[in-house]
Formats: sequence, structure tokens, C-alpha cells
Amino acid sequence: MTSLHPVHPNAPEAITPEVAAAEAREHGEPDWLAMRRADAARAHASLPAPTPALRPWRYTDLTRLDLATFEAAAARLHVTGAPADGYAGSLAAASDREIVRTHLGSLLPATEAKFLAANAALWRGGVLVHLPRHSAASEPIVVTLDASALAQALVYPRVLIVAEERSEATVVLRLRSGDAPLVVMGAIEVIGGPASRVRLLIDESWGAATSDFSWVRARLDRDADLQVAALAFGGALFKQTVEVELAGEGATSGIRAVALGDADQHFDFVTLQDHVAPSTTSIVEVKAALAGAARSVYYGITRVAAAATGADADQANYNLLLSGAAKADSDPVLEILTADIVRCGHHATVGPVDEDALFYLESRGLDRRSALQLLVAGFFHSIVGELPFAGLADELDARVTAKLATAAL
Amino acid sequence: MSTPILDVRGLEVSVAAHPDIKIVRGVDLVVRPGEIHALMGPNGSGKSTLASAIAGSPAYRVDAGQVFFKGENMTAWRPDQRARAGMFLSFQYPTPIPGVTMVNLLRGALKARRGVEVPAREFLAELRATLQQLKMDESFARRYVNDGFSGGEKKRAEILQLGMMHPELAILDETDSGLDVDALRTVAEGVNALRRPELGILIITHYQRILDYIRPDVVHVLVQGRIVRSGGPDLAQQIERNGYDPILQELGLSREPAKAGA
Repeated sequence: MTSLHPVHPNAPEAITPEVAAAEAREHGEPDWLAMRRADAARAHASLPAPTPALRPWRYTDLTRLDLATFEAAAARLHVTGAPADGYAGSLAAASDREIVRTHLGSLLPATEAKFLAANAALWRGGVLVHLPRHSAASEPIVVTLDASALAQALVYPRVLIVAEERSEATVVLRLRSGDAPLVVMGAIEVIGGPASRVRLLIDESWGAATSDFSWVRARLDRDADLQVAALAFGGALFKQTVEVELAGEGATSGIRAVALGDADQHFDFVTLQDHVAPSTTSIVEVKAALAGAARSVYYGITRVAAAATGADADQANYNLLLSGAAKADSDPVLEILTADIVRCGHHATVGPVDEDALFYLESRGLDRRSALQLLVAGFFHSIVGELPFAGLADELDARVTAKLATAAL
Repeated sequence: MSTPILDVRGLEVSVAAHPDIKIVRGVDLVVRPGEIHALMGPNGSGKSTLASAIAGSPAYRVDAGQVFFKGENMTAWRPDQRARAGMFLSFQYPTPIPGVTMVNLLRGALKARRGVEVPAREFLAELRATLQQLKMDESFARRYVNDGFSGGEKKRAEILQLGMMHPELAILDETDSGLDVDALRTVAEGVNALRRPELGILIITHYQRILDYIRPDVVHVLVQGRIVRSGGPDLAQQIERNGYDPILQELGLSREPAKAGA
């Protein structure tokens, strides 16, 4: 890659084993982590950059994003609601714990993708949520990642959630940045122990010039339940990959996202429901409402292994086009290797708002914009169902109303 | 005489997507405050199209004529402007709106109608009072608009909105269709409970039975897009006894609905 800009020492081109290991030493991390960072830097050097030739990247072109002009920096992290039993706080500070050594990078190895390698080499701060056996966090654990003080920076968020047997918690990740250009490459791993219950809400409220490429990957043991929900409102480009491996019998998962786009915002969702064990249940529901020249892309795979008999999987992607220039692509894929399933469905729609519904609301005195605010809030409402947060429905309504007050319809 | 609430003059309406399909072919209709008019007619005569066109539905195109509301020509107004001015259409087939609760719809509608945000406490008090007046359970207001409602529930939801909006003209488009006798009585009693001296009502119906509960002042018969008869309540009873055929025969008309190019 040629660039007219000078290469910053911590820009991805400059990720070397020495730089990565120095990162570890500087923060007093144990040797095993320093070695892993150095290995990740080597993996980063050998892995190809994503191109549209790779299917999950088909609709998201990175050629206009000159990564060499961005410099690695740490966002401010703030954690509240740490459980009475267990831990919620800095991952770096907890790096001497055995569970970190065991699980960090176990689901999202650095060798898998260039951006994951960059994250594994250079993540700073990070968050560990550890829920011991039979523990239940009484209130949501709220992690705020605030990058608003940064400019032209590369941010590597790293979150590890280890939920041991029969533990229970709700984790809210709030993502914030200012108007300056930022690139985010995040990695979130969720280890769901037997019969654990984890709710993960990702509130993406990035500033208008932030590009985020993040992965969420979970592995669920028997009877574990994980519900992930993303509210995507901000950012210039938001590409989120959420993958759940239903590895234990009776495990259940939900992956939900709502995206509200305007101007030239670009959303790209990739999901994987990987049914490995018998009697597992999963649901995916990704909804986008697009104003201006916003664009949404969805690529989702439902995989049912031969051993995963009695699987129940549903995958849905609905796109509402609020303007003539908005665009959505939907690409659901099923890979079913057993005939013994309960259900394996997929649904995808792309289209304008229902004119009958619009006339109905207009005939009640609502002008077109007010009617659309109500319709879009209603369209998103299904995401609230599985997330028992007080006030989430009102928060969602308020944010839809605020964004559509000025959106190009 | 008071200014009419509704004054329809020589209205001609076609389907927006198919302008060659003319449905309403010159209708004159005057409704004054406090009056109840019934518009009857066989299937396909254009009753619902006339109602939708008066409410400003984008599915229809006005080819000729005007609609005056309280003396103002609103022929070119958008549907939301008409509603804010005090016109209310009770839909024959109310549209389901998943995810939007009746409460949210009513709050938005009331804010639009009054031009100011209605304080939450005041809104809830009004909502409770109206629900009580219509003998409806409070849980109804927390459900999604028309989503999974039975036929009777849909019509009652329309009447609830009518009650909250305080319109000056209510057009009830086949509010009786799909209702059993008990549901019909409930809905009709609801409408009667909401009557005010300034409210004009236009009831569109096939059958006379709703008119047993809501007594009309004037009955009109619409055939092939034109009002062919107007009279008192006895006209509805006559139709109930003999059907539309005697009127059609007298006028030398067939039973066929209005058709393209006819």
C-alpha cells in the first residue's frame, strides 16, 4: 500500500513484535501476554487486508480508508455496576488471573483476521467481566468506552466475559466518540458456562467520522443462554460480526440489531448461528431503517451440524427504506447437515414504508415525518422484548425521534 | 343556517394508480353540525372511495369538484392537515401497526390535533375517561395498534380514537361490517356516547341495522358513483325491506359496480 501520509510508529503497518511486546512490558503485563502480543504482531504482518473478494467484505470497500494515517490510542474506559461476587473492570489489571490466560483469544484468535491480529497485538485497557459459579449481578454492568478526546486514532477495544456455571448478568457496552476521524477494531469474547444467562447490549453511538470493525463471538455450554442486542445509530461505517457457537445441548441464543441510518452512513452486519450440539435454539433479527443515502448490508449464516439434531433456528433481516437514495442488501445463507430439525427459517425484506400504515397515521393528524418517527420506533420495538432493561423502550423511542427529526427523508 | 361542516360539490374521483378507473362521478353532499347522515348503497357503488377521498387518501385522485370543510376549500390538503382541522375517518379495515402502542399513537395524534404536547398526567386522565365512557379495558391502550385485534376490537379502537380526537366531522366507513349484534351495539353506543352538538357524522353502510342504534337525519343512496336518492330514516327501512333493486330498476340502472370507461 502506498501512502502520501507519513506512517506513524503505531499505525498498523508498523505493528512489530517489538512494539507489541513493549506495550505489554510498559503496563506490567505477564510474560505469556507479552509473547501473545508479539505472536499477534507477526500474524498481522502475514495476514491479508480484507478485500471485497472475501464474502463477508463484499459490500464494504475499505480502499478509501487510509489506515496509515491513524495512530493507536486508548479510549477512556469506565465501568459501573461491578457485581458483588466476581469482577468487572480493567482486563489489563486482571491479566495475572488464570481465567484470562485460559480464555483471552480462545474464541477470536489473532491468526484469524488482520484486524483481529492488530487488536490482539495492541489492545490497551480492555474489560474483563468474570461471573463465578452461581453468581448473579443484581444490576447491569455498564461499560462506557469514550473516545471523544481522540482524533485520527485507532482504538482497539477488548472485552472478555466469562460467565461460569449458572451465573447471570447483564452487560451494557456504551460506545462514544467525537466528530474527529477514528477507526475502531474491537473484539468481544463471551464464554457462556453451563446454564449461564448473559444479556449483552451494545449501544453504538459513535461520532459521524468513526469507522468501526468489530467482532463478537460466543461459545455456549449446555443450557447456556446469551442474548446480544446492538443499537446502531452512529458512525460513518459500522461493521459488526456476531457469531454464536451453540456447543452444549440445550443452549439458546439471540442476536438482534437495529440500525438507523442517514446521510452516507454504512452499516454492515454479519451473523453466524452455529448449531453444534443437539436441541439448540437460536434467533437472529437484524433491522435497518435508512434515510438519506444510507446503506445497510446483511450477510448471515445459519449452520446446523449433523450432530445438532432438534435444532430450532430462525434468521431474519428487515430493511425499511425511508428515502429513494437509501439502499440495502441482504444475503442469508443456510447450511443444514441434518434432516432432524425443528425449524430452520430465514426471512429477508427490503422495501419502503407501508403506504397504508402511513396514510392511517396521517389521517390521525401526524405529518409525514412524525408518522415515520412512530413507524420506525415501532419497527425497532421487537428488540426490546428480550432485554429487560428499565427504560430501554423509551430510550429507543427518544433516539429514533431525535435522529429522524433532521434526517433526509 | 349554520355553516356546513362538510360541503362536497360535484366531486369526481378516480384511482390514483389507474386514472381511467372513475369511481365517484359527481357527488354533492352537505353535512351540518349535529347532523347524522347515512350513505348507503350496493357493493362497489363508491361509498368507501368517497370516504377515503374526503379524508385525502393518496390512493385516489380528485378529477373534478371540491371538498369544503367548515367553509374552507380543503380539496388540495394533505390528510394530516384535514385531520388536524377536525376531520376523522374511522377505517373500514384499520391498518395494523406492529410495535406502536395505542397510547403512543394517541399521544402523537392529540399533540398534532392541539398543536401542543399534552402533559402526560392530563393525557392519561383523558384516556381513562374515554376508555370508561366506551366501556373499554385500560389494557387495550397498551396493545399495538390494530395488531392481532379481533374485528370488534379494531372498530372499538377506531371509536376510541374518535373519542380522544374530538373531531367536528366523523366519517364512519362501514363501522358495522364484520361485527356481531353485541359488538355492533357496543360500538354504536360508543358513538352515541361521543355525540356533541358541533359534531357532524357521516355513516357509510350496506345495511340498515347500525341505523337502528344511531338514528340518521338524512339517508343517501349512492349508486355507480352518484347519489341517486336522499330522504329521511324511512328510506333506510325501505332498503332494508326491499333491497336496492327497486331503486335501481326505477332508475333504469343495472346492479353492476362502476367500471373503467363505463
